[in-house]
Formats: sequence, C-alpha cells, structure tokens
Amino acid sequence: MELIIALLNGTLAAVGVYLLLDRNLFRILLGLALLAQAANLLVFTSAGLGDGSTPIIPKGAETLPAGHPDPLAQALVLTAIVISFGVLAFCITLLKQAHQRSGQSDVMALAKSQR
Amino acid sequence: MPGDRRGPSTMSFDQFNPAWVVLLIFAAAFLAPVLARVPQKNVGWLLAVLPALAFAFFAVGGVSVWQEETWRSSIEWAPAVGVNWDVWVTPLGLFLALLVTGIGALITIFAGAYFGDSPHRGRFFLNLYLFMGAMLGLAVTENLIVFFVFWELTSISSYLLIGFNHSKTEARKSALDALLVTGGGGLVLLAGILLLGQVGGSFLLGELIENRDAVHAHPLYAAILICFIVGAVTKSAQFPFHFWLPGAMAAPAPVSAYLHSATMVKAGVFLLALLHPLLGDTPLWHYTLLAIGAITMTLGALIAVLQTDLKRLLAYTTVSALGTLVMLLGFEDDLAAKAAVIFFIVHALYKGALFMIAGILEKTTGTRDVSQLHGLMKSMPVLGIAAVFAAASMSGIPPFIGFISKELLYQVKLEAPITGWSLLVCGIVANAANIVVALKVGVAPFLQSRGEDMTLKSKPSIGLVIGPVVLGLGSLIFGIFPQLILGDAVTALVNQIKVADVTIKLKLWHGLNLVLLLSVVTVALGFVGFAFRKRFWALGREITKRASHFEATRIFRGLLQAVIQFAGLVTRTIQSGNLRQYAICVLTAFLALLVWAFVRLPIDMQIPDLGNLRFDVILVFGLIAVGSVCMLLTRKRLTAVLFLGSVGFGIAALFALYGAPDLAITQLLVETLTLVLFALAIYNLPSLPSAVETKRPRIVSLVISLAFGAGITVLTLKAMSMQLEEPVAVEIAQRSVSEAYGRNVVNVILVDFRSLDTLGEIAVLAIAALGVAGMLRSACSSVQVSSRAPSSAVLLASARFTAPAMIAFSIYLLLRGHNEPGGGFIGGLVGAMAVVLIHLARPDLPLRFLKLSPRGLVAIGLGLAVVSGLPGLLGEGSFAAAAWGPAFDLPLIGKLKLGTPLIFDVGVYALVLGIVLLLYDTMQMWNASSRSQPQPIP
Amino acid sequence: MKPEHAAVLPILLPLAFSLLVMFGRGVVRYQRAVVVGAMGLNLFACTWLFQWVRREDVPLEISFGGWNAPVGIAFYVDLLSATMVLVTALIAFCGALYALGDVGRRTWGASYGFFLLLLITGINGAFLTNDLFNLFVWFEVMLMASFAMMALGRRRFTIEGTTKYVVINMVSSFFLLAGLGLLYGKAGNLNLNIIAERLGSSSDDPIILTSCALLLMAFGIKAGVFPLYFWLPASYPNTGFTSAAVFGGLLTKVGVYAFFRVFGGAFAFFSELTGDIFIIVGVATMITGVLGAASQMYIRKILSFHIISQIGYLILCLGLFTKGAFAAAIFYTVHHIIVKTNLFFVAGMIAKTGRAEDLNKLGGLMRSSPLLAVLFAIPALSLGGIPPLSGFFAKLFVIQEAFEVEAYLVATAALAVGLLTLFSMTKIWSEAFWKDSPRNSPLCRFPKIQLVPVAILCSITLFLGFGVGPSYQISEQAAEQLWNQNSTMALEEETQP
Repeated sequence: MELIIALLNGTLAAVGVYLLLDRNLFRILLGLALLAQAANLLVFTSAGLGDGSTPIIPKGAETLPAGHPDPLAQALVLTAIVISFGVLAFCITLLKQAHQRSGQSDVMALAKSQR
Repeated sequence: MPGDRRGPSTMSFDQFNPAWVVLLIFAAAFLAPVLARVPQKNVGWLLAVLPALAFAFFAVGGVSVWQEETWRSSIEWAPAVGVNWDVWVTPLGLFLALLVTGIGALITIFAGAYFGDSPHRGRFFLNLYLFMGAMLGLAVTENLIVFFVFWELTSISSYLLIGFNHSKTEARKSALDALLVTGGGGLVLLAGILLLGQVGGSFLLGELIENRDAVHAHPLYAAILICFIVGAVTKSAQFPFHFWLPGAMAAPAPVSAYLHSATMVKAGVFLLALLHPLLGDTPLWHYTLLAIGAITMTLGALIAVLQTDLKRLLAYTTVSALGTLVMLLGFEDDLAAKAAVIFFIVHALYKGALFMIAGILEKTTGTRDVSQLHGLMKSMPVLGIAAVFAAASMSGIPPFIGFISKELLYQVKLEAPITGWSLLVCGIVANAANIVVALKVGVAPFLQSRGEDMTLKSKPSIGLVIGPVVLGLGSLIFGIFPQLILGDAVTALVNQIKVADVTIKLKLWHGLNLVLLLSVVTVALGFVGFAFRKRFWALGREITKRASHFEATRIFRGLLQAVIQFAGLVTRTIQSGNLRQYAICVLTAFLALLVWAFVRLPIDMQIPDLGNLRFDVILVFGLIAVGSVCMLLTRKRLTAVLFLGSVGFGIAALFALYGAPDLAITQLLVETLTLVLFALAIYNLPSLPSAVETKRPRIVSLVISLAFGAGITVLTLKAMSMQLEEPVAVEIAQRSVSEAYGRNVVNVILVDFRSLDTLGEIAVLAIAALGVAGMLRSACSSVQVSSRAPSSAVLLASARFTAPAMIAFSIYLLLRGHNEPGGGFIGGLVGAMAVVLIHLARPDLPLRFLKLSPRGLVAIGLGLAVVSGLPGLLGEGSFAAAAWGPAFDLPLIGKLKLGTPLIFDVGVYALVLGIVLLLYDTMQMWNASSRSQPQPIP
Repeated sequence: MKPEHAAVLPILLPLAFSLLVMFGRGVVRYQRAVVVGAMGLNLFACTWLFQWVRREDVPLEISFGGWNAPVGIAFYVDLLSATMVLVTALIAFCGALYALGDVGRRTWGASYGFFLLLLITGINGAFLTNDLFNLFVWFEVMLMASFAMMALGRRRFTIEGTTKYVVINMVSSFFLLAGLGLLYGKAGNLNLNIIAERLGSSSDDPIILTSCALLLMAFGIKAGVFPLYFWLPASYPNTGFTSAAVFGGLLTKVGVYAFFRVFGGAFAFFSELTGDIFIIVGVATMITGVLGAASQMYIRKILSFHIISQIGYLILCLGLFTKGAFAAAIFYTVHHIIVKTNLFFVAGMIAKTGRAEDLNKLGGLMRSSPLLAVLFAIPALSLGGIPPLSGFFAKLFVIQEAFEVEAYLVATAALAVGLLTLFSMTKIWSEAFWKDSPRNSPLCRFPKIQLVPVAILCSITLFLGFGVGPSYQISEQAAEQLWNQNSTMALEEETQP
C-alpha cells in the first residue's frame, strides 16, 4: 500500500515540476498547485497512516483508541491546504493581471529585458 | 572620531594629547564651509590659523621627542574589539606632523587666494581639512587598526580632492584611478595588519617591535611584509602603480601642491620607515625596495624630461623622488636612513614651492606649457627669486640644502655593499634629469628672455606668493645652518628607523672628494640636457604618439573595463531574466543536494510488499494519476482546470479513506473554490497557444521532473516506513477532552493547541483576498459595474429555499466542529456558497451577509480571532490561553461549551465567509470591467 | 509591562492595528496615521523587550494557548531574536515615515498599510518562534504580504518581477513544508530545541539529513544565496521604493536568521556533516553578487545585487562556525539591514529628484542637492567598508575570523569583494552626483518628510561605527546564547518536567 501512495506522490511531484518548467504562466500555476498537493500528502503520510479510524475521541473515552492516525499531522495539512489556497488565489489574479497588461501569459514574453 | 563622542570622562591622557589636535582639525573641517563665507581676501589667512597653531603645538611639544622621550597617550574607543586610539608621537610621526601642519598652513593661505571668491571654496576647505586631519592622525597613531582608519580616510579624501572639478570627465576618472589603486592597496595593507596582529599578538607597534624576532621567525613573515610593501608602494605611487599620481594633476593646483609635496604620497614612505624596525633588515626587504625604488626613480625622471606640461613635469619628478626615498629605505646602513630623512625634507620644501609656482603661473599667464613661458622675472621678481631658490635646491647647488642630500645620496650609493655601480648610474641619470626639470620649471620661465615679455592676466596676490617664498627661503636657510636646525631631529629619526644609537653631524661642505666630483658631473649633464630640451620634447611627442598603448593609465583602465565586461557576461548568463532557467537552477541544486545526501548516508531501499491492497485506494490512485497526466497533455485551459479538480477530489477521497474527515471536507471545498476562481479568471482569456518549444527544453523538463518525482517517491516511502518516537500528538489526544473539552482532536488543535498557526493562516487568507482586491483596484481604477439584471425565476426560487438552509447548515457545522468533523473553516465555506447562490439569483443586489460587506466580515473575523486571545494574555500571560464558560446541551449539535476557542472559531467562520465573498466579488467586477475596457500595457 | 506580554506584542500590535486600517480604508490620512502610530508603538515594545532580554541575559520562553513547549507553540526569545525584532521595528518605523512621502493615495487606497503591517507581523513571528511549522506559517504571512505589496508597484515590469518572486518563493514553501513534515515524522515534534534534543547528535539518519537538505533549500531561496537568488534582482527593482527598501532590508535576513537559528543553533550537528558547503556557497554568493552589481547601471539593481553579495558574507560566517564568526555575522546583519534600507530610501529620493534611476540619465545632483549627496555618502561609504563606519568593522570582524581559522583564500575573496563594492558605490556617486546632468530637464524636489527616516538611519550607521565597542559586545552576547542554545535548552527541560 505504502508503495502505491509513494508512487502517487512521486507522480504528483513530477507532473507538478514538469508544468512548473513550462513557459506559460497558467501552466506554471497548475504545476505549483500540484506541488502543494504533493507537499501536503508528504506531511500527511510521513506521520504514518493509521488504520483508517478517525482522530475523533469516541463518546465516553478519554483519549483516542490505539492505531489512530496522527491528528497533529492532519491539523498541519489542513492549515497548509488553506494557506496554499490563499496563495493560489493571489497567483490566479496575478495571471489575469499579466494578461491584462501584456495580453499574454507567456513568461518568456513577459520577461523581455527583465533580468 | 570617537573621542569627541565619549567626552572627557573616559579619557586617560596627560595634558598634552595630540589626538585632540586631530579631532580639532576634523571639527574645523565641518566649520570650514561656514567660515569660507567671510570676505574672500582674508579667508585663506583665517583658515590657516588652525594648522599654524597645530604646527606650533607640535614644534614646542615635540622638543622632548627629539631627545627620544616617549610622548604617549590613549583614547578609549572599543576595548571590546581591542581597538583604542593609542597615540604615540615618535620622531617620525612628529616629523610628518610638522610637515603636514606647516606646509598645510601655507597651502591653506595659497588656496584661499587661489580660489578667490569661487562658490566651491567651502567644499574645498572641507575636503582639505579632512585630508589634513587624516594625515595628522596617521602621523600620531600607534594602534595599527586605527592607523588603517586614517590611511583609508586619506584615500577617500584625496578621491574627493582629485575629483574636485567633478564636471570634467578626466577629473572623475583620475579620482577613481587614485581611489582604486590606493584603496585596493589599503585592503592588502589591512590583510597585512590583521596577519601581523595574529602573529605578533597585538596591534600596538611598540609591543610588536618588542617581539620582532617572533614575527621574523614566523612562516607568515614574507606574506606580511609583501602586504605592507604593496600597501606602501600603491600609496607612494611606485612602479607599477605610479600612474595615478600624474593623473591626480586633474586636481586644482593647491591640491597637487599639498598631495605631492608633503602628504599623501609620503604616507607610503612614512609607513615603510615606521615599520623598518619591525619588518626591516632582511634580504627580502632590501632587494624588493631597492628594485622598486630604483626602477621608479629612473623611470619617473626619464618620463619627466619628456614633458612640456608644468604639472606633469613636476608630477613625474615626484614619482622619481619617491622612488629615491623607497630605494634609500632599502639600503641597510645608517647613512642611507640619514640621506632618506634629509631628502624627505628637501623634497617637501622645493616640491611644495614649485607646485605653487606652477599654479601661480597657470593662473597669471593662462598656460601650463613650459615652452611658452618666458621672461616673467620683471613682472614677478619675488616669485622669480623663490623659484630660482627652489630650483637650485632641487638641482643640488650649494649652499642650498638640496646639495647636502645629493652628496649623501652619492655617498650611500658609493658605499653600498650590495648593489655596486648600477644604482650609481641610475642615480646620476635621475639627478641630471631632475636638474633639467628644475631649470625648465624654476628658471626658464623667469630668466630666459625671448624678445617681448609675457603679459600677465593678473598680478599674483600676496597670499599666492607667500608660500613659495617661505619654502624657497627655507631651502636656503636649512642649507646654511643644517646642524643647528636639523641636527637633533635627523639623529632621532635615524635612530628610530635603524634602531641605532648614533649622533649625526650635518655640514654643507665635505671638502673635495669623489662625491663632489660626481655632483659636478651631474650638474653639467643637467645643463647639457637643458640645452637639448627641444629635442626631448620632440622625442616625447613621438613616444606619446607611438607608445600610448603602453601607458600605465590606459592599461589599468583597460583592465577595469575588462573586469566590468566579464561581470556583465557572467551576470547576463546566470541572470538571464528567464523564469524557466531560474526554476531549473533551483531544482537542479535541490537534486544535487539530494544525491549528495543519499550518497553521504545511503538509504536502505527495500521495497515494502504491496500487502493489503485496497481496491478503493487503487481507484483513487488511478483517478489522480490519470488526472495529473491529462493536465500535461491538454492544451485547453478549462480542461486542464477540470483535471486539476479531479486530482484535488482524488486526494480528498484519499484523506477520507485514511481517516481524515476534516481534511477531506476542507480539501473538497477548497478544490471547488479553486475551480470556480480559475474558471472566473480564464473566463475571457484566449486558449493556450500551441507549445512553441524546441525538443531540447522538453527533454530537460522531462529529465528533471522524473528525477524529482523519483526523489519524492523515495522520500515518501522512507517517511511512511519510519517509526515515530512517540509523537507529541499522543499527549495532545490525552489532554484534548480533559483540558480542551473537545473530541474532534484536529479541530481542538486548530482552535486551541495551535491556534497561533490558525491565526497566521487566516491572516494569509485576509492578505490574499485584500491583495486580489487591491490589484484589481490598481489595475482598473474606474470600474463601472454593468448593471446586471436578475436571472431566471427558477434559480431565484431555488435560491430562496436552499440558501437559508445552507446557511443554517453552515452554522451547524461551525458549532459542532469541536466534537464532530466541521468547524469554522468548513462552516464558513458552506455559508459563503449560500451567499454566492443568492447573489447569482439576484445580481442586482450588493453582495452582503447580515448587512455586512465582505471586507467588514474579514475585519470582524480577524478581530474576533485576535480578541479571543487577549483574555489569556492578560490572565495567565499566555496569549490565546482558553477561558471557558458554561456548557449547554443543544439538540443535534450536542454538548457545546462556551469559551474563547469558540469565539476564535466564529472568527474563522466570519473571515472565511468574508474572503470568499471578496474574491468572488472582485473576479465578478474584474470580468465586467475587462469586458467593458480592456487595458493595454502602459 | 511583563516580558511575556512584550514578547507577544511584536506580532499582536501590527495585527491589531491592521484591523484599524481595514475599518478606516478610503481615508488615506487616517490610514497613514494608524500605520505610523502602530510602528511607533511596536518600536517602543521591541526596545523594551530587547532591553529586558539583554539585562536578564537568559533566553525567554513564551508559550501560547497556555500549553507548554512540547504540546503547544513556543516562542524562544534570546538576544539574537530580540535584536532582529528591534531592528525590524526600527526599519518598519522608518519605512512608514518614508511611505508618507513615497506611496501614492491610490496605493494607500489598495490597503497598502494593511499589507505593510502584516508583513511586519510575519517577519516578527518568524524571528520569535521556535516551532518549525509556526515558522512556516509566519513565512507565508510575510510572503503573502510582500506579494501583495510588490504587486501594488506601478512600474512597467512590476507584474513580471512579482511573478518570478512568487513562483520561486512558492517552490521554497514546498521545500520547507516537505522538510518539516519529514522532521515531524521522524522526531514526532515541531519545537526546534526538543527536536534537536531528541535527535541529539544522531546525524546518521538519512531522513534527517534529507529533511535538513530540504530546509537548506527553503532557507537558501529565502535568503537569496547562490544559485537560488535569481528572483531577487528580478523583483526588487520593479516595485515601489518603500516596499523595495523594507524588503531589501528585512526579507532576505529572515532567511539568514533561519539559517543561523536552525543550522547554527538547534541543528549544529548538520554543519559538521555538510563540511564546507556553507563556505563555498557563501563565497560564490559574494562574488556573483558583486559582479552582478558591477555590471549594472540601474541604481536599485546595483543595490539588489549588493544585497546578495552581503548575504554571502553572512553565510560564510555560518560556514566558519566559530563563536566569533557568529558574533561577526550578527553585527554584520544589523549593519547591513540599516545601511541597505537607507540606500534604497536614498535611491528613491535620487530617482525623485533626477526623474530617473538609470545612471546614464542621471547627473548634476551634487550641485542641485548637496544634502542628498551627504545622505548618500554615509551609507554608501559604510557599505563600501570605509572606516570608521559600521561596514568597515563588519568586514573587519569577518575577515579576522577567516584569518583565525586560516582560511586565507576566503579572506582574500572577501577583501576583493569589498573593493568591488566600493567601486560600484563610487560609480553611483560619480554618475549621479558628480557628472553634469545629461538632460537639461529641471530637477524636482523630494518630499521633505523623507529626510527624517534617512537621517535616523544615517545616525545609527554612524553610531554603529563610532560606538562599535558596545554594539559588538551585544553581538558577542547574542552569539554566546545562540552557541549554547542546545545545552541551555536541555537544562530547562530537566528543571521543568
């Protein structure tokens, strides 16, 4: 099982990087979005996958039953997801802005004379 | 300097602290611009008072120093770094100080008259005083670090002085040359000083000299010596760094007179003399200095003969003279030191005079070409006599002091054991050349008559003439009574330089001997050379025409250009402005690091067995993998976005499968939101251009991305197969119910255990939303939203019913969040969708939630989040420490405990609601505006 | 005021005041007043905190939510963080004053003040926190705010520059998140000191090494080291002057601070593993940066490249890894923040006066505004390492340390870079001030208010130079604390189980 998830994460990262290396701003953003997903998944998995039970303390119990997934990791990922959403939203606007200014989102063209 | 900041309290000095003179001059430097406002005739005299007083101070206070009594004191500056301003007036220092102040006073008078009422007078005197102060500090400082401080100050202030006529390109260039050469040499000197401090264990010259042997024995000795020599020869314009000095001619006459005669260039020689007791008397020392000195001496003299420009003539003779001094310091016997000292004085006197005269001639006749000047004796008799005196001293005619120094020079070269006749020949040539120059500059313009006399533009004022006269007379008087005036001083100086204990007798007449013969020969040669001067000039023109490429200045500036071009090349290559290249750089760096790490500590790669294969996970895997790969292939924006969505949903599903309901829901909602935003953004963009990439970039991207993917795969594998050494999460889970009254641990962490993270997170969201709005605002300022009509009745009706239900549900999610999946964030998103739904139904109404504008919601949300933390801060002094109220049992929500975490969560709810609405609204208006008025690039 | 309050104020004050800004948007005068007031209060609080930490000479531990270190988030305020926060507050205050004359109403209207305040919040948080994930969050706050500020610049290439800045920095966020995720997985904790303690010197674990590599990448991009700095010269010259000045002073230093906090303090073992990597990177950064500067003719590009070359010195100090080198680095950082921000300020005034930033178009400023010349000369000479200004001592200490460990080649490089730095400063001086103006267009005046921040920073530069003794003592004290971070932390663990 681990292998599959690892491969999955690898795929996400690879595709993300490939898109990141495109010269079109739109695809670069897609790439960044995927990379963010990969990072979240990495955090999520590196804390160890539980047995599928949820990190919610059942009524009456004082603490989580054994074999539960790591709630802290989940909290971190949740925060990370939200943050990356905020950044992505801003980037989308940036893309739009770039379009309005220069009529294209080709980074090479955007970067003329800009070192 | 620090002294005047520290105040006398921390001072420890006897009543006679020379440091204060230096500080006084620095202070005066900043007053000079004000003083320069007084009526122009007197300003020079007025400003000369301070240097004159300083001269008197050193002359009187220094009498004891000639009797080798130490005159020490110290000003505390930074003991923490072992840097105090330790003042030590050695005979050498006193000697330099007297020259700096004495000639400084004359120059100040001269400059006052020279500049007349020019508006830049103030700036000039500011620079001049700074320079004077720096030189004086150099003279009296023992601590080598502080010494270096003054050393660099002279470089900077001379930069400002040389570039004084800064609208002239040549002036700027020469100033830069001077700064780079002397400043660069200075840095080498600094390296030397630091090494010396490391080796000798102190920065105090006195202590260093005491354990001189240790320094000599140390392997770094050679390096140190080289560093110091480089520092000295760059400053003293020795070959091959001589070129900046003639370049400094771009400066106004007073500057060149000061820099050349007494100060700047002498600093290097001074440094060498000062260090001779510490580093001197080794073969390396002797041969380096002799070689450099001899070359510079001869070269400078020969070039000088070929010049016709007054100032260039003198400049090159200065170079030659400095060469002589360096060479003399290279000899090992005491006589050489004596000769050096005498020549130091002689040169200061006549060179100062001649430079001022050159300035006067230029000012009065308007030309600097010696071939033009003639017959000025009638119109300027006093000046003429002074000039002749100076020239005589320069050519070493008795009874002028120059004669003494020339005799000594020859004597040294005759008696020198190590060098033999070679240097003697060089010496004769150089001196003869000097005589030629002396005649050209000092005698010809005045005595040589050529029919009608030259007419003067203006008569030189007394202020102009006084300097040359004093110095000219000085040459004579010093020559007549050498022992009386200089005896003690020279003795003390020689003893300091050579660490000897000799008493020097100076007398003008040594009787008839070989040395005398040599000087006669030299003089004769000089006159012959003068007779043939026209030839020399012709030759000079030839050479300058032919060999101009070998001129040192050109070579230096060429090198500088080369460096700059190289820099440009490098920068253009790595800073190409191509984002793709930057990304490639970053990723390759990472891959390299990763490989390094793997090699450093290899990871044991055992592939875990697939074990309990779960069909659903495989399905999700397929969904994500296919979606992401399709994103690569499609060239339609919308399709790509949809595939991104599918990937997101897949991951949400994965979260759900692995027991993270909150994550799953959040991911789901966020993904939806992202989809909407993307859709709104690319609403009216043209579809992607078909890729205009060549093959190679594709391959590069492919390789990098595959390597990257592989790396991440390995990392994930390892990450999952490693055992946690009991994570803190366990403790959190244990304390969650008992102390934080919540069963949904994730939510408890978000709003209580790590609420600070959440605070930052919502801050990010707020910034993002406002940033988007701000960009819109600055992008299209005048947005006239096209009034949108209400949409279909069906939508309206459905909105009527669903929206309130959704809002209710969102609040339910918010409240139960502490115990069940849900919470402020999720609730907020759901609520936002409801409001958007309403707005879709009634676009004509403004976007509101309970009468609150999106911005208002954001502000309130953030505000609640902050406020909910204050009780904890004020109470137990820990921000966001929870304060709990009573608990209620609500229907279908279950147990609800009031408390600051709940307020915090409500804040999150409001903020999320607000930012979603704000984003949505912005995009709406933007599309509207961009539809109405597309914005071209400004 | 209690220390536990003072330690939270640097993030609370700007955050709270940013709300005031939001409520009163539209009214520009009100916004300006709020921002300046907030920065003033913040400066006061930070000074108090600094004084306290300096007097007590023990690192201060602040818990949040009433949960102590292992469970909750903790701030760890030692003299280093206190110093950084103080300098940040100073720069923020000066920036706010400068903005009064520099930032236009329209930009204020686009809630510039809000972003500025939250930028400071993020920076302070990053300086104070001792929790890796919390650090990530503050980084994001800081980045997001800087994105927004940068995008508000109204220059021709603003958007292009911002794009590069955003993209590269998002990649760095990826690295940071991945790295801390792995570390959490391994050590089961996020508090730097506790992680360090649990790992002890167990540097033989590949996962730790890799996660350290990931952190290295993240901080490296933030700090702008070779070969990760390309975003910097692309973005800083293309935004507003106030933003560029504050960024140029502070943002990269946050990265450098993270380097020292993590690899110098908590994870000291890592740098034994990496060997000379920091030295090599540092020297490469110094040289490429200064070469970049030498090749430019556009003032703020020259300055941006100099940021990079100076970062090189700091990373070099980390590589030398002696207590003295740390002290030198801290002194250098403070000096550099102040001087660099000041130079960006003056660059703005030059551009305003001469109506250009291209040195070929500038000229004649010496005649028209000698005051400006003086105000430029002080920071410029300081940057060029001319004694007795702060820059000289900063370089002096670094080179001394290099000699101490007998890294002669490195010292030589540092000296050469110093000369080139001086060269490009004189280039600006000679082209903008000495040269006559190539265009006979009349020069304008800069707003008088801008003189205030520049004067403040100039005087501090002078103080750091002439009063080098006390300021260096403070850096030594801070270095001492950083050096002992592990051991002291362990002790505290034992005392409070």
